Amino acid sequence: MSTPINSTASASVSGRAPGAGRTVPFSLGRLGIVAGNTFLEAVRQKLFNFLLLLAVAMVASAQLFQEFNFGSSELKFISDFGFGAMVFFGSTLTIAATAQLFFSEIENRTALTILAKPIWRTEFIFGKFLGVFAVVGVFCALTTVLLLGLLYHRENALMAANPDAFEHGRLIHYGDLVLMGVMQWLKFGVLAAITLLIASFSNTNLYTVVMGFFVLVICHLQYLARDAYGAVASLPLRLLVQLLGYVFPNFQVFNLTDQIGIGAGINPSVFLHVAGYALIYIAVIGGLAVYSFRNREI
Amino acid sequence: MVAVLAVTGAMVRPLEQPAWDFVRSTQPALKLDSLKGALGQGVTVGLLGGFRAIVADFFWIRTNSYWEDTDLPNTQTFVKLVTAIDPRPLYFWQNGSRMIAYDMPNWRIVKEGGYDVVSKARQYEIDKEQSAVAIKYLNEAFGYFPDSTLLYVEIGNIYLNRLKDNASAAEAYRKAAIQPGAPYYAARIYAEILTRKLGRKTEAYAWLTQLYPTLPKIEDPEKGITPFMVQSAMAPVVLDRIRELEKELNISEDKAFKP
Repeated sequence: MSTPINSTASASVSGRAPGAGRTVPFSLGRLGIVAGNTFLEAVRQKLFNFLLLLAVAMVASAQLFQEFNFGSSELKFISDFGFGAMVFFGSTLTIAATAQLFFSEIENRTALTILAKPIWRTEFIFGKFLGVFAVVGVFCALTTVLLLGLLYHRENALMAANPDAFEHGRLIHYGDLVLMGVMQWLKFGVLAAITLLIASFSNTNLYTVVMGFFVLVICHLQYLARDAYGAVASLPLRLLVQLLGYVFPNFQVFNLTDQIGIGAGINPSVFLHVAGYALIYIAVIGGLAVYSFRNREI
Repeated sequence: MVAVLAVTGAMVRPLEQPAWDFVRSTQPALKLDSLKGALGQGVTVGLLGGFRAIVADFFWIRTNSYWEDTDLPNTQTFVKLVTAIDPRPLYFWQNGSRMIAYDMPNWRIVKEGGYDVVSKARQYEIDKEQSAVAIKYLNEAFGYFPDSTLLYVEIGNIYLNRLKDNASAAEAYRKAAIQPGAPYYAARIYAEILTRKLGRKTEAYAWLTQLYPTLPKIEDPEKGITPFMVQSAMAPVVLDRIRELEKELNISEDKAFKP
């Protein structure tokens, strides 16, 4: 058990009001205040604006890059490119913003001030999470709306130029593309929870960011390990790989870009399964971050 | 902490599995093992970040740069690399196989002294080697496009034009013709090879008489028959061919095909 920096902070660890010996009930209001402040702080950061600008510029320039496209149709290319920009910059934003917002509280000593108040560490951690989740939500919403607008504009132009190709109606399922944006947001939510978990025991911002990216890669590629080693003869190795498959969330389940938007639509039950998967992981990993943070010396 | 995560992973498996099956059913997995050593970290991050199509496109440009330099090892490596990164576009498979089957034999023959120096037997041997690589490559593509007529046509073309293996070419065209949405020319080429290259006229006649009733003859927008379909089906040409075969096979008028 870590040593609290002062008695007030010690009291707040267990959620007790200072000096009163009474527990303060968990408050969604306080959690909301932490989340709101985190959101405002994040939006004011140059990092958010910079990454948002880059992502928006990339989505908007998808049409220019189609000259480099050889394989698929123009609309599919724009859709792939747009979601690629969202995933790439969204992942970067999630990891960097979560780590930065968490460590700014520690390094500026504002965490001490906040935790000296009757506030649960659960409220602090989940408040931080919700703030980042809201920021990433704004990011996903803006890029998705921009992408939808771009696709709608190009599809109209193509429909006017080549009506025969659209005799069965529009090719793009706009509703499904919105679902895709929501799924990316949920994935970033899991990633933010993981980054918070790492931050809760890490000592530096840099370590958290680097580890966050490592975990991102592992979560994307763990299925390869499961495929490759799932059937090996060595029992210990097989068990180890299975354990890894259970420990790290599988981020490939959020990758439905090929299935939705253009061509076949998404099965609503699949969407609900993925959403449930993400929300459970957010709750559990967030809970672990709280547990780890409660034992942390600030 | 690890134990909690492992238990959570096991508990959410029923939620993950249907979604994962759905993703795997239609989306080719990223074969990072086949990309090993060829990719820098930036590219790997790009692939994971969702820029798979874009990365493949840029590698395709690089492939063409090697192709212009007639650099066989690099062209062949990059052709395979592009489809390992993004196997979804048929374009890469088609054009990659053409580079391997048609251009590379020419480069090799030129490198060995040119067409006047290299013996016909050696030229054929080179053609055979490159065609084998191209056909193997195209057969891999069936893993992603199981019903693709165009892949069968591509294989048929290699057998016909490079290897002069008419029987194998005919079989490839037959397979192309029976796929859903096959272009009409595949069925006609199959009949032509049977007749003119293999002398199997009875078979060709049976094939064409079965084919003719299925061809669109008149434009009908309600049934979705467009002028282009009527034009490309070339029903009158097929009927003429049937009549020619009836003469060649001495089929009497009473037994002749009645459209």
